[in-house]
Amino acid sequence: MTTKSADIVVAVFLLCLGLVVGLDSFRLGSGWGMEGPKAGFFPFVMAVIAVAGCLVIIRQAMKGTSSVKGGKPFVPAGGMRPVLTVFIPACGMVLLTEVVGLYLAAMIYLVTYIKIVGGYRWRTVLLVSIPIPLIFYWVFEKIFLIPMPAGMFGAQILRF
Amino acid sequence: MDILTNLMFGLKVAGEPYNLMVAAAGLILGVVVGVLPGLGGANGCAILIPVTFVMPPVAAVILLSSLYWGSLYGGCICSILFNIPGEPWAVATTFDGYPMAKKGQAGRALSAAFFAHFCGAVLGTIALTFFSPLLAAFALRFGPPEVFAVMLLTFSAFVGLVGKSPIKTLVATAFGFIMAAVGIDIVSGELRMTFGLTPLMGGFNFIVAVIGLFGIGEILLTVEEGLKFEGVKVRMRWSDITSTFRDMRRYWKTLLLGSFVGVWMGFKPGGATPASFMAYGFAKEGMPAEDREQFGQGHIAGIFAPEAAAHGAGTSAMIPMITLGIPGSPTAAVILGGLMIWGLQPGPMLFVDKPDFVWGLIASTWYGNLIGLLIVLAFAPAFAAVLRAPFAILMPLLIFICAIGAYAVNNRMIDIWYMMMFGVIGWLFKKLDYNMAPMLLALVLGDMAESAMRQSMIMSQGSLLIFFQPPIALPLVIAAAIIGCWPWLAPMVRRWRGTEGKASAGH
Repeated sequence: MTTKSADIVVAVFLLCLGLVVGLDSFRLGSGWGMEGPKAGFFPFVMAVIAVAGCLVIIRQAMKGTSSVKGGKPFVPAGGMRPVLTVFIPACGMVLLTEVVGLYLAAMIYLVTYIKIVGGYRWRTVLLVSIPIPLIFYWVFEKIFLIPMPAGMFGAQILRF
Repeated sequence: MDILTNLMFGLKVAGEPYNLMVAAAGLILGVVVGVLPGLGGANGCAILIPVTFVMPPVAAVILLSSLYWGSLYGGCICSILFNIPGEPWAVATTFDGYPMAKKGQAGRALSAAFFAHFCGAVLGTIALTFFSPLLAAFALRFGPPEVFAVMLLTFSAFVGLVGKSPIKTLVATAFGFIMAAVGIDIVSGELRMTFGLTPLMGGFNFIVAVIGLFGIGEILLTVEEGLKFEGVKVRMRWSDITSTFRDMRRYWKTLLLGSFVGVWMGFKPGGATPASFMAYGFAKEGMPAEDREQFGQGHIAGIFAPEAAAHGAGTSAMIPMITLGIPGSPTAAVILGGLMIWGLQPGPMLFVDKPDFVWGLIASTWYGNLIGLLIVLAFAPAFAAVLRAPFAILMPLLIFICAIGAYAVNNRMIDIWYMMMFGVIGWLFKKLDYNMAPMLLALVLGDMAESAMRQSMIMSQGSLLIFFQPPIALPLVIAAAIIGCWPWLAPMVRRWRGTEGKASAGH
């Protein structure tokens, strides 16, 4: 995908989002109410600005007058792979958090990432991945009393 | 003098052992955060906000502002030793900082940068100390129309003066306001833009947005570019510091000019980046010809000017934050958001209602920048070592820490998902020149701007003329209109003058 098409795709997406917001604000009432502007007034104005702006952005991208250089690939060759190797495991950690809680999910995530992507020895992997979440657990849950998500089973596993 | 009495009072507040300890902790964390890629001052503050819930507001603001000063100091370590500007305003420093480091003068370059920071900080803090009370006293006369006019000016400054694409900045700002409006409308109690989805009812939290946009987004960009952190090794010697004193005597004009440009520009939103480039440009122009050729190959004044400007701008960004409730930089925006969470109403009334808070903050700026200078001078090599930690270990840890910060604000699991979503948005927007700072600002200020507008409209019974009423609102709105339309006006003005002036790029 070239930067130009990415530029257009993002602008079209924002345009649709702006339209949705505009419609919802219109439903709420974008005019003058009993005492003052109705709830939808401000978002409606913003949606109008957003939609109009997106149209200009699309036109600029089509004409090639955009500030981003359109011809080059949006993600340079070999750039997407590292982005995904970061992003997908991170999403995996968040998903795991729903099940076993943040601290255990982080441990699993750290072990997998540092071992598989980083390719470090087990000793290094374990020395980083196990103590650091435990330290955070201790600091946040015990000292500052800020609870972290426990997921469905986290509270049963981490019991100290 | 009134201000001096207040300052003395503030120095006493900020000088309490607990507050000094908090300041030192904030500074150290700040330097680390400033050095690390993917974490800046804004992000560091956002992650720390939940921790501040257990502190009194004065200590909390001292922690966050110290972290801010620390991150400003830390940023130059990254740009000088690794040639990687951690923040956009550190770009100008890499021009001369990295060449010096490669020539084996890393210690001298770093020490120059730190002292330049300190100069910028001193001038900025003087402005903060003496100018903010005056501005606050003036702003006490503001009603809703004036508040709205100031906001208009703020955002039109972003559109007109900052960023490569004014129209994209405008769209980003609009979406910031839209995101702020999601959830329950504070005036009518109606649900807005929730589309019947429960997770949307709570709205979007700006802290989550900061962590996603500036944290996760920055990490994705870093891995995409495949940056290698191969820095120059550094040892700070006493002779580096003494030679800096000699350089400072020689280039005191550059330093002063840089600091002044920084303080002046930093007052406006998004001013730090243009300030650092302007200061660099001025420093270069002001040199004799033989010196000028040295620029870009490692001239010490090429470090002095942009660094003094960046820190000056960072400091003076606090002035509109504390007086008007309008932050001049993303980090100041996060601190402002913190203020609201601690139950303080930002704006000029703070000077009347909470003098210990305001003057504690101002005084801690004096302490903080001095302690910060000593910390970075003493431990610069140790901080640089943080960057040598392998990225495959550092990166997952950063994401873990970001997730903690995102969750802790509201204890909502959905926020961690939002954080990931904002990460993708940040990555896309950065690559496509959408400016994220005004979007963030709009998200923070959304409720305030909207209620100011609605109150004004109620006052005027629907007439827009209220925003054009003299003596205060009118000039502000006119200035906002001119600045906001500047990217389109400028070519016309140039044509009208018939000169082919240099294209005024946005940075």
